[in-house]
Order: sequence, then structure tokens, then C-alpha cells
Amino acid sequence: MTDRSYATVNPCIMCQPIGSVMAFKGIESSMVLLHGSQGCSTYMRLHLAHHFREPVDIGSSSLSEKGAVYGGSENLKKGLKNLILRYDPKVIGISTTCLAETIGDDIGRIIAEFREEEDIASDRIIIPVSTPSYEDSHNSGYIKAVEAIVKEFTSLGSGSDIFNNKLNVVLSENISPEDTRELRRILSDTISPDSFILLPDISETFDAPMTGELQKIFPGGTSHSDIADMKNSAAMIGLGITSANRAVSYLEHVFDIPSQELPLPIGLEYTDRLVAALSMIAGTDIPEAYQKERGRLIDAMVDAHKYVYGTKVAIYGDPDNVLGMLSLALENGMHPILAVASGKSPGFAEYAMERVRQVKPDCDVTVLEDVDFDAFNDAVKKAKPKMLIGNSNGKYIAKEMGIPLVRVGFPIHDRVGAQRILSLGYLGAMNMLDRITNTILEAQEEKIDAKLSRPDRYASPDWLEFHPAEA
Amino acid sequence: MPEITSVVNTLDERQPYIALKQAKKKGTALACDDTSIAGAMSQRACVYSGARVALNPVTDAVHLVHGPIGCASYTWDIRGSLSSAKETFRTSFSSNMKELDVVFGGEKKLSKCIGELAGLYNPPVIFVYSTCIVGIIGDDIQAVCKEASMAHNIPVIPVHSEGFKGTKSDGYKAACNALMQLIGTREPEITSPYTMNILGDYNVAGDVWLVRPLFEKMGIQVITSMTGDATCETISQAHRARLNLVQCSGSMTYLAKWMQTQYGIPFRKVSYFGIEDIAIALRTAAGFFGSQEMKRIAEEIIESETGRIMPEILSIRNRLKGKTAAIYMGGAAKALTLIKGFRELGMEVVIIGTQTGKKDDYEQISYQVRDGTVIVDDANPLELADLLIRQKADLMVAGVKERFLAYKLGVAFCDFNHDRVIEFEGYDGFLNFARELDASMNSPVWKAHGSRLKPAAPKVHQRTGPEEAIKERDNMHDHNTATMQGSVA
Repeated sequence: MTDRSYATVNPCIMCQPIGSVMAFKGIESSMVLLHGSQGCSTYMRLHLAHHFREPVDIGSSSLSEKGAVYGGSENLKKGLKNLILRYDPKVIGISTTCLAETIGDDIGRIIAEFREEEDIASDRIIIPVSTPSYEDSHNSGYIKAVEAIVKEFTSLGSGSDIFNNKLNVVLSENISPEDTRELRRILSDTISPDSFILLPDISETFDAPMTGELQKIFPGGTSHSDIADMKNSAAMIGLGITSANRAVSYLEHVFDIPSQELPLPIGLEYTDRLVAALSMIAGTDIPEAYQKERGRLIDAMVDAHKYVYGTKVAIYGDPDNVLGMLSLALENGMHPILAVASGKSPGFAEYAMERVRQVKPDCDVTVLEDVDFDAFNDAVKKAKPKMLIGNSNGKYIAKEMGIPLVRVGFPIHDRVGAQRILSLGYLGAMNMLDRITNTILEAQEEKIDAKLSRPDRYASPDWLEFHPAEA
Repeated sequence: MPEITSVVNTLDERQPYIALKQAKKKGTALACDDTSIAGAMSQRACVYSGARVALNPVTDAVHLVHGPIGCASYTWDIRGSLSSAKETFRTSFSSNMKELDVVFGGEKKLSKCIGELAGLYNPPVIFVYSTCIVGIIGDDIQAVCKEASMAHNIPVIPVHSEGFKGTKSDGYKAACNALMQLIGTREPEITSPYTMNILGDYNVAGDVWLVRPLFEKMGIQVITSMTGDATCETISQAHRARLNLVQCSGSMTYLAKWMQTQYGIPFRKVSYFGIEDIAIALRTAAGFFGSQEMKRIAEEIIESETGRIMPEILSIRNRLKGKTAAIYMGGAAKALTLIKGFRELGMEVVIIGTQTGKKDDYEQISYQVRDGTVIVDDANPLELADLLIRQKADLMVAGVKERFLAYKLGVAFCDFNHDRVIEFEGYDGFLNFARELDASMNSPVWKAHGSRLKPAAPKVHQRTGPEEAIKERDNMHDHNTATMQGSVA
């Protein structure tokens, strides 16, 4: 439906609190308490459980009418107390909802009172973050929570002040547990396993191995000592470039740690940038194993190039993810006719167009941001891509258009394995390219089969669109 | 009466909500129907969610959420209800309130949203859901809706579902209040002397399509099913039914009572799940209308349909017999009917709980379950996990939030909530349910659950030095030769 100026139809974004939850879940022994009504936490638990297929517990201050009128202090304190009694987390993130923000609770003061009143509060790190739903999106909620975590840990008096010669790697957009594991491997192999601090790290907390027991809080996540030690690091990489990485800016300004921001390592070029930067920081040559991996990726790209060449594709999702997929599509000769970011981010459009100019300046690409799926649908109808790349919410459009959807990003609630989708690094690029190519091949096969089943099967095959000679 | 004992380790404040059924002892009633305790990790959602689940299946309506984006994002097409006609209800509409709307009020934006959607989608009705923030800043959605109704010449109905103003049950009421605005506004074409409505069925995975034809076969005209596969038109004609059959009593009894007062339509509580309960439902309708012919057809349906599914039910029953089940449902009606369903499959319920059960519901549940069964209201994940272990449940039936908790504990699982894609109601639905339990409980994957790999046991002859190594190689050679020779011979 076209020409809307007011209503949002099929939203591309979620609200800030869910982004903050994904960040908090990436640190050791942490729980989140949403200050608001009971529904917010339950809806986000549902949404995250659908995607990660893991139990997801998020506390709520369960604000009622009384709390909304007289202030939510009592509920918040009770929520904190009960959460500590039941889950014993060492870190509690308090994310505000629109309700808490609008009634104007002073969270800092409530936490201070709670600390005075309750003994169980000692030794707990309580991190408030302001994430009203009426501002920005889940992407900004993530960035704000990571910033709040870094600020809280590095400003604690305790901990060492000794230079640690480590590299901080700070994400500004949520990536899958599998991608997190791959990132850890790349960092371990290029820098060394104990010379980097990756924040946040959901590799174990949102994809926990089956042990036969239910853990109250899944082990894993960036350790507290590591986060506190981030102020003593030698260098910093912010991963994700479309939005300002607030945690990185903070550490740079306050602790004078030099930083660089790199795109998420998706596809050949962006992975090259990360691996090259890491080797430069480590002062070593590119590890031979990575030269081989890279060589295999290029081999895969050559194998696939004719199948994917010129295929019109629409890419949508969170901005840095889309930028990475756009880069991967371009460098493989596809035609990314639409690149659509879920929320608004300052750098997305610029970086996307820059990448187009670098690889294929004459490529006609429409870049959109801060739109809903209905507007995306209009754009898809106009651009007529042969394939969609993005999260599950594009399935309605794919179905209507009769085109395939290659699922990547968040949320993916209608397929298994979302937590294990690998898209980062050379291996991730190979995985995504193979999936994309095979999807194209399957679609072509279906088309050919449909034609061949007709009586005029011996007719000349001029009905085929471009199809490589080697089938 | 169930007795309140410290069944599991939980917050002191939560203890009154968990009880063990013990027939001989007299105890106090189970605490229930309260707001959730902060930080206790309730599985419940909010008022808005209650309203949304009860009303959203109305297929041709525009369901417009007035609030910030989250409330619409998380509820986009999550209900699993199916439609036989329009699919407008599967689209998510939001006024997407921003900071400025919060500061200056969202009425103008809401009014423009309604106008825009009325023009673009041409719906017969628009439901406008209010969310938390609307209740705080005080937008007068009643007035906006009234004005919009006149401007666009369709009913624009406010749903008062501010998230914090009560519990999920209050949301059901808000949905019923919205339905009341439609009922009685149109006249149906009456084709049978016997007319009824199906209330409290949401056509998840197409449930209603397995039930409605049974009543039609009996000569009953089903005017509407609320709200599964309902349209604005059929709801507005609901007042012409002579009988309301209520399934999900938690959400729809309020509406049924109103229709009784307003239009003199009596209601009966039924269930379409399980062999016994479906039969009761059909007999209830036939008995109400009193037609001998109808009673005969009902008996015919019951006999032939039961006979049709029984062979497979019995074969599955043999595999499920003696296994134990845990039930954690949103509403009590579904929990109650499940007790019978499990019994029909030879299984015993060892835990039963609900999010929104009332005092009467828990009394009924208590009568239905055996001694030693744990009854719980507004449970949380840690309590459920402890209970699954304590009560040695083989299977849990609940919703997606409980699914992965059960899996981590090695407990089989059946989703009886929004996420289900196969029907569980009617005769074929019950067969589906039995197959689902069979599939989850008898899968070989559980054999690996919780295991850890150990190194292979060392061979008896370890290679310790060159001499032994040579000997071993020779032995092996001999052995191979022998085998080969053997096989040649």
C-alpha cells in the first residue's frame, strides 16, 4: 500500500529494550530487569526464544496502575530483590520501557536506595540504561547498553590500572552466536587467545550446549574482569560502522585508547580489512591458514560467479548486516537492486553508496532506511528482485512475489538454526555464497522442470533466461 | 482441597500459589487471580496481550496499535489463527508513537493513521488498541474513535488495553467490550431453526474448521465463531443465535454473560478437545435444541468418528501408557480438558498450572487430578523446572517460553499455544495431538540427552615397543588373511 505518511504497517524495527537485552546477555552472570509492565519482558522473551531456541529469562518490575501513578520505586526494588534471590546474578541491567520513562522514575536514585536498604545488593553491579520504546530502535538499544556496561565497569574504583597490551573489540550490532564464535577464532588466530577482549559475547549464553541440566544463568559471556580491564588496553576496534559506537568513543576519550572502526567482516573485502588490521596490530604476517581460507573463498567465488552474476537481489535487515551483505553481493557480481536498513543510522546510506561506487559504479541500487515492510514491499514490487536476503519478516513479500528468501539476521522464527547461521569471516562468506548460489540453482531447476513437463518439451530452450553453459 | 505446602523452593511470597493435591488433608485454597510479583519472572504478559490474543483473529479488521513500535512488532502475526477469507489481521498496524507524540499527545497522529488505513485497506471495522503510554499521557482514544467512525462511516472501536492496568484477564474483557460494540448491528439470513455461536475458539491452525462442520451436519446454523475465522459481518449478527457454546471460558464467559443479559441467549461451557469432551459438546447442543433428529445425527457422528480414529489412538495409547504429563496453560479451560485428553491416552497428569485461572477453576482442577499432583498459579521458569524434576514428568504441554526449558531438562514437549501449526480440536485434531505426543516422547534423540563422550576403552594389547608392535602387526595380518580365506572358501 503506497502513500502513507502516518501509520506504520509491518514494522522493520523492534524497540530499544530488546536490543539492550541482547547486549546484557553477552556478559558473564548477568540478568536484565525491564522496568515497566509485565508484558514487555514476556513479549521479548517470546521473540528471543523463537529466534535462539533457548530458554530466555528477563525480569520485570511488573508495574501496575498504582506504580504508574505513585512511581515505580517499590516495584523496581522488589523486582531487583526477587531477581537476586532467585537467580543470583552478579550483574543486573535495568532497562527502562516507555512506561517507566514517561512516569519519570529516577532509576539512579532508586538503585542507590536499594543498595542502602538491602544487604544482598552489595557485590552486585547494577547498570541502568535508558531505552524508551518511543526512541530509535533495537539497534540503538544495543549500542546504549554496551556503552552503559563499559562505563559502569571501567569507572568502578577496583581493578587494575596496569597497561595490558590487549585489543578491545566492541560490537555495535547484534551478531549470531555462531558468528561470535567465528569472530573469536579469527581474533585468537591472529592476535592470540588471551590478547583480546570481545564485548558482548553471546556465543555460549544464547546457544548453550545440552548438558542435561537447566542453568539459571547460562555460563559464558564477556568476563567481568575483562570488561573492567578494557580501560587498560592498547588498541580498539569497533565492529560496525553505520552508527556511532558509543562505548568505543567513551573509551577513546576517557582512557585515550586509539581506535578504528571497521565494517562487520562480511564478504571478502570487509573480512580482508579486519584480518589485515589484526595482523598489523599483532605485528605479524597474515597467518598461512587464513591465506588458505581466503584462497578457498576466492575459489568458491570463481566457482559460483556465473550462476550469481547479475541476479537482482533485495537485502534488508539491521544496517551493518545489510552493508556487509551488500558488499558480498556486489563483489560476487550480483545486482543488489535494493538495500534497506531497519532503523535510521547516520552512516548507512553513505557507506552503502560508497561500496557501490567502489565495486560497480554503474550499478543501479536504491538505498532505503527507517521504512516499514509495507514500504519495502512497494519498493520490491517496483525493483522486481529475483531474491530476498534478510530476516524471516520478509517471508510474506517473498511469497507474494514468488521469489526465494535467503534467511540471515534477526529475527528468524520460522526456520531452525538461526543461532548457528555463519556469515562472518572467510568461512561465513563461503557459507552465505553457497546458500545464495544453491538457492538460485534450485529456483532455476524448478523453472526448467515446470517447462519440461509441458508437451512442447522438445521446443527450443529460448524460454530460459541467461543460464551458464555448465549446468 | 489442595494443600499448600512448600512443594518447591521459591520465593516465600510465591508459596501460596503452589499446592499439592492431598485428598485426606484439608488445606487453604490456592492463591490466584492476583497481579504478578515483581522480579518473580511470571510467564504472563499484559492487558494489551490479553486483548490482542482474544480479538486479533477477526480476519477482516484493521488492528491498529496506538503506541510506540514495540507492542506492534512483537505481536505481528503471532496468533497462528487461520482465515477462510481476508487476511488483513495478519498485517501489523501501529501509530508508532515517537517522543514528540508522547510529549504533545498522540491523538492527532492516531486520527490521521485511522484515516489513512481506512482509505487504503477499506476495512469493515478498525480496532484501536491502547498501550501503556496512552494510559499515562491520557490520549482520549474514545473521542478519536468516535469522530473517526463518523468521518469514515465504519465502526472504529477503542480497545482499552493499557498494559499496566491489570492482568491478561482484563485484556480479555477489553476485547469482549470491543466485540459488544459490533454485536447486534446487522441481521443475518436465518437458514435453520437451530442457530448458535461458537465462542472462545481462535481457529489456531484451523481448529474451528474441524468442529463447525460437525454442528452443521446436525442441522445447526453457526452464525459466527468468535473470534477464530470471524469477520466483522458475522460478529455483528451474533445476537440472532439461540445458543452460545463457550470453549475458552477465561476469555469469553464475560461476553457470553453479557449476551445472555442483553439478548437472552443462554450459554454452555464445552470443549472440542478429546473424545469424551467432543461427544459432550455435540450432545449438549443437541440436548439444548431438543430435536430427536439432531440427537440421532449427533450419536451417529460420535459413533462413526470415534470408530474411525480409535484404532490409531489405541496403538499410540499403547506406547504412551503410564507416562506422566505436566500442563501449563494460559487459561483454565484448556488445562481442564487436557486432563481428560491425557487420561484417554493412558497418561497421568502430575503438574497442572495456568496463568489466569480463577478460584472456581482451581477447585474444578483439584477434583479432576489425582493425589500428589502439583497445582500452580502464575508459575515461573525456575518453579516449573523444579516441578518437572520433582514430579518426574515425561512430557510438558505449554507454550514456546516453556518449550526450551523442558528440552534442557530432557522432557518431551507439545506446544498447545499460538505456535502450533496443526489442529488439536475435533476428531482429527485429537489424533494429531496423540501423534505429536508420540513423536516427542518416543524420539531417539533423548537417548543422547545430557550425555558426555568418554574415550574409547583401551585395547587389551597395547603397543608398547617395537617388538610388540611387530607381533601385533603379524597377528593382524594373520587375522586378515584368515578372514579373506574364509570368505573365499
